[in-house]
Amino acid sequence: MSTHNVPETFSIPVGPLHVALEEPMYFKIDVQGETVSHIDINAGHAHRGIEYLTTKRTMYQNVVLTERICSLCSNSHPQTFAMAAEKIAGIEVPERGIYLRTVADEMKRVTSHLFNVALLVHLVGYETYFMHMMQVREIGQDMLESIFGNRQDIGAMCIGGVRYDLDDKSIAYIKGALDKIEAETKDIIKTFKTNGSILRRTKGVGVLTHAEAITCGVVGPVARASGVDYDVRREAPYAAYDRLPLVVHSLTDGDVWSRAMVRLEEILTSIDLLRVCLRDLPGGPVNINDRPDIPPGQAVTRSEAPRGEVIYYLRTNDTPQPERVKWRVPTFMNWDSLRFMLQDAKVADIAMIVNSIDPCLSCTER
Amino acid sequence: MNFLTIFARNLKQGPQTEAFPLGPAFTPERLRGRIEFNADHCEGCRICERVCPANAIRFAKTPDGMTFDCWHNTCVFCGNCEFYCPTDAIHQTNDWDLSHVNADKFDMVEHGLIPNQKCVECGATALNTAPVIKNAKPPLSAEEYTELRARCPKCRAKYLKNRKVPA
Repeated sequence: MSTHNVPETFSIPVGPLHVALEEPMYFKIDVQGETVSHIDINAGHAHRGIEYLTTKRTMYQNVVLTERICSLCSNSHPQTFAMAAEKIAGIEVPERGIYLRTVADEMKRVTSHLFNVALLVHLVGYETYFMHMMQVREIGQDMLESIFGNRQDIGAMCIGGVRYDLDDKSIAYIKGALDKIEAETKDIIKTFKTNGSILRRTKGVGVLTHAEAITCGVVGPVARASGVDYDVRREAPYAAYDRLPLVVHSLTDGDVWSRAMVRLEEILTSIDLLRVCLRDLPGGPVNINDRPDIPPGQAVTRSEAPRGEVIYYLRTNDTPQPERVKWRVPTFMNWDSLRFMLQDAKVADIAMIVNSIDPCLSCTER
Repeated sequence: MNFLTIFARNLKQGPQTEAFPLGPAFTPERLRGRIEFNADHCEGCRICERVCPANAIRFAKTPDGMTFDCWHNTCVFCGNCEFYCPTDAIHQTNDWDLSHVNADKFDMVEHGLIPNQKCVECGATALNTAPVIKNAKPPLSAEEYTELRARCPKCRAKYLKNRKVPA
C-alpha cells in the first residue's frame, strides 16, 4: 500500500463530551498511528462560579452549597468545610457525631469506588459485568437513600456535628446491606484477578511510575496504586479515624488494574471500618444543637475524599458570609498525571486511562 | 460467585428495575421530599428563610398576617429548614412526585398563613404565632398555653414574668 501524502501524525480531539464518565474534559491528542505521542489538556467547561457563590451565602447555607459541588464526594466537601468552620469557632463535635461522620464518609466511599470500578468494566467492554456491578452498587445507594433520604446529596453534615441519627433498626439494616456488598465485592476482586478480558485490557496500561507519581503530587487511590503510601485518614486523622483499625492499601505497578484493585480493597476496608463504628457507636447528642456565629479567622482543613485528599481554606470576617472559601480537590492533582499515563498509550485505551484517575471535573472547575 | 450462579439468581429474582409507573417505586421512610408547613406550630422566627440555601422560602407581611411560601421548584430538598426549625413547624415528607404540567408551575408552592389576632390584654394587633416556651419553668399547662398564645409579644413576656414568681 502506498503512503503517498499521508502525514505520519494526526491530531484527534477527545472530548469535551463523552470521555469516560461523560465529564466535559477536552484532550487534543497527537497520534502516531495508534499510539499517543502528545497530549494537550483543556479544561474549564464545567465552571459554575461556586467559589464566588460561597461568599454570597451564609456559613449555614454553604454547608448545603458545598455538598452540591460534586455528587460522588458530596459528603467530603461539606465535612471539610464544617471542620474548617469548627476550627475557627473552636466548636467541639460530640463523640457520637464524630462516629456518625465517619459512617457517612465511609458509606459514600463504598458507593463511589464501586461506581468507578464498574465504569472501568464498562470501558473494558464487559457490559454484563458492568450491569452486575452497578446492581451491587445499588445496594449501597438504597442504603444511602434509606438512611439519609437521598441517593447522592446525603445531607449528613452540619456545622457542629451531623444531622442524622441511627437507631437499632437502621443499624441492623446497614449491617445487612454491608454483608451483601462485602460478599459481592470479594467476588468482584476474584474476577478482577482471574478474568482474562479485564486483565488483558488493564494490566500494564496507563502506567504511572512511583517517581512520576511523586513529581505530579498525585493523591488518593492513584497515588497508592503507584506505591505512594499516603492516606489523610492515617496521616492527619479527623473524625473518628484515630480510633479505627484503618488499613491503607498500596500497590507498586501503577497501572489501571492496580488503581482499580486499590479501590476494591478499600471498599472492604471501609466496610470493616463501618462495622467497627456501628459496634462502638457512643451515646449522647449527635450535634451541638446550636447555630453559633463563626468569628473572624482563617483555617485550613483536609480530609480523604474517595478520590483523594481534599483541602479547604476558609477565611471568615464579621459578616455571616465567609470572606473566601477555596478548595483543592484531588482531581486537580491527579489530572496532570494523565500526561504521563497517556504517553505512548493506544488510542483505544484513552477513555479507560482517563477513567482510572476517577476524574471529577465538577469539583475541579466548580 | 460464578456466572451460572448469578444467572440462576437473576432468573429467579426477575428484573432489578422498578416497575414504576406500573408499580410502586422504592420510597424509604426517611426520603427527603416535598416540604410541608404547619402554620400552627410556627413561632415566626424565620430561621428557615435564613438557612435555606436556595432562597426557596419567603415570608411576607400582609394585612391578614404573615405568609409563608416555599417554592417547590426552587427547593433543593436539603432539609436545612426542618433541621434548624425550633418548633417542628416545617417538615420534609417522603413525597417525591412533583411532576406537574407547565401551566401549574406557579402553583407549586407550599403556602401558609400565620394570622393576625387582637391581644386579649392590650388589644394590639399581633401575629398569632406559637409562643416560645422552650425555657419556661415549670412547663405550661394546656390552658396557660392558650392564654399565652392569645396575647401580643409584649403581654406574653409580662405573662411569663408574672407567672414565674409564685413557683
